[in-house]
Amino acid sequence: MAVGLGEIGIPIYSPVSESLYPLLAVLLLTIGLLLTASFFIYEVTSTKLSRSLVHEFATGGLASVFLGFGTLFLLLWTGVYV
Amino acid sequence: MARAMALSLLLLVACFNLASAADSLTVVRADRKVDLLTQVVRVSTAWKVQNNGAEPVREVKLALTSEQAERVAFMEVVIKETKGKGKNAAVGLLLPVIRYSQEGSVIVYTLALPREIKEGEIATFESYVALTHQLKPFPEEITQSDSQLVKYHDTAYILSPYPVKVQTTMFKLSSSRLESFTKVNPTKVADTEVRYGPYEDVEALERKPITLHFENNQPFAVVEELVREIEISHWGNVYITENYNKLAHQGARLKGGFSRFEYQARPGASGVSAFRHLLAKLPVHANSVYYRDEIGNISTSHLRSDFRRTELELEPRYPLFGGWKVPFTLGYSVPLQDLVFKAADGSRYLNISFGSPFGNIVVDKLILKVVLPEGSYDVSATVPFPEGSFEQRQEKKFSYLDTVGRTVHVIVKKNSVMEHQFKNVLVHYRFNPLGMLVEPLMLVLAFFAFFASCIAYTHFDFTLSKSTSAYLAQVQRDQVIDVISKLQKVLGIRQTAEERLEASLKDVLRTGDITACKADRKNADAVWKSTSKDLKALLDTLQSTMKTVPGKPSTTKPSVIVTKVETLLLKEKEMVEKLQQKQTFIVDAYERKLSGKEIDARIAPVQEKLESLRQEVSNLRSSLED
Repeated sequence: MAVGLGEIGIPIYSPVSESLYPLLAVLLLTIGLLLTASFFIYEVTSTKLSRSLVHEFATGGLASVFLGFGTLFLLLWTGVYV
Repeated sequence: MARAMALSLLLLVACFNLASAADSLTVVRADRKVDLLTQVVRVSTAWKVQNNGAEPVREVKLALTSEQAERVAFMEVVIKETKGKGKNAAVGLLLPVIRYSQEGSVIVYTLALPREIKEGEIATFESYVALTHQLKPFPEEITQSDSQLVKYHDTAYILSPYPVKVQTTMFKLSSSRLESFTKVNPTKVADTEVRYGPYEDVEALERKPITLHFENNQPFAVVEELVREIEISHWGNVYITENYNKLAHQGARLKGGFSRFEYQARPGASGVSAFRHLLAKLPVHANSVYYRDEIGNISTSHLRSDFRRTELELEPRYPLFGGWKVPFTLGYSVPLQDLVFKAADGSRYLNISFGSPFGNIVVDKLILKVVLPEGSYDVSATVPFPEGSFEQRQEKKFSYLDTVGRTVHVIVKKNSVMEHQFKNVLVHYRFNPLGMLVEPLMLVLAFFAFFASCIAYTHFDFTLSKSTSAYLAQVQRDQVIDVISKLQKVLGIRQTAEERLEASLKDVLRTGDITACKADRKNADAVWKSTSKDLKALLDTLQSTMKTVPGKPSTTKPSVIVTKVETLLLKEKEMVEKLQQKQTFIVDAYERKLSGKEIDARIAPVQEKLESLRQEVSNLRSSLED
């Protein structure tokens, strides 16, 4: 199958095993949602004066990384191969 | 490019040189077998060619009528080479078509030989040609109970650009019912075979038209246009979508009405030329197979798969009679590793069969679209068909999470038959593995944009009028809350120091270790001292915040807070003092070695006061929280 016009190729696999997609999707999305929750809790409990921009961006950024990758694996798990 | 030019120039020169020499070939013997079993006409001919000229020959020619040439789906010429000795010494070598030219109503294909034919030498090769749309239904319209008759036109003599010494032709029919045939002696009919020849010494390109009229009830399934879209995802999947834009039965048209009752009741005798199933041979690991048309999913299908193959048998919405059409879409997924490979030079390539997975259908126009992942470059294709029989181009397509669009390599070929299932197209491309991160990063960015907008919303002040009392009260409230939360923090620090001292006092009562207690006292004192300044500052800020209330008398609430805070601070200070007092007592008592009872008696009032103060402080603190 891999032989074509004298070429012998190595099959290319997905960088992440497909059996890990459900686990990764659930895990990353859970962490992402927890971070989102903590972000919003911080937003509503702190006042304009006591709010720290660094803290906000750190939580928001971390949450978006987890949510982003979690969504990717969710899409892959459901069969939407991007 | 320059090399290609030079090569073609060389070929041109060579062809001029050989123009006379090529005609010096003679066919010693030719045996033709014409397969008329299905709707596709498959002609295989064994040629024995001799070079009668003085010069060696490097090319060989093959002729087809221009009507046939238009309908050539597949052409392959194999030369038998003997390499070494032994049983498997004969090796088939594929001859490439280097050019074709029209000579009157005949198209002559020129093929390059791997090895020249020297003077007097004999070479054997086999040609195999598959033609579509050669069988014409006659009569053109039949009723449901009739069987289908077709006419086939050909020549009794093999069309050859060279004179042929001896030749035979055998037509293989799909049934023994042969209505008529043209006689060109010697002609023999035996069951389902019609034999013409042997004929001797036929001139080059000489024709003797014949017509065969016989029964053929094979499905004449023709797809006008098939779009096969192959979408590669490096995350482990290849989507294949096949859009059968009108699958039609192009045999004899149905005359009169269709009787479902008759069709069901007499399956062998009614609608024999109609077909209700189609069988597709899908790749081994094909999964997520779907099959639908404009109305929706069609579920009358069977999918069988084992470790060697996956077969899909599907039933269109209705049995197809002559002239009837049905458009539908078939889709499936194949794991990435089955179709995409990495070449030795680091480039990647897709290896996929060109033809439709359905066996017995003819495709008039097959469009193969290979959608490569976003960010692929250096795209090229290796197509197993001679130049000129196909077209290729590139376009862009936007799919999931795309920014610049995916490169689509399109290959268009007219006339496709089952043989193309075994012909693989290779689409080469290069791809940076880091490019796979683009899509997740886009998702991350989208989420980050959401969080950033939330942050911006809470940080910016969207109030239009900044002088209304409500707005100012809000600002003041925020400031008060801020001061109080800071105050709480400082008080918290003080409280921990206090608790620590209290704990060490308990230790003293148990162990009598005064030095440790003294050290703790020192630490606590330091904390209290440093934080008392902060407390003072915070109280000032709070008071000044209250003063800045604009002309309009604010509610009683702020002043209540100030008094509350003041009392809290006072009580807290008193509590700390009491604690210090208690500590001094205990240390003193131990130094004077007083009995446990005495100590208890002496610290009892202090302790009482301390407890009540502690209670008050904690009450005040929690009331401030509100």
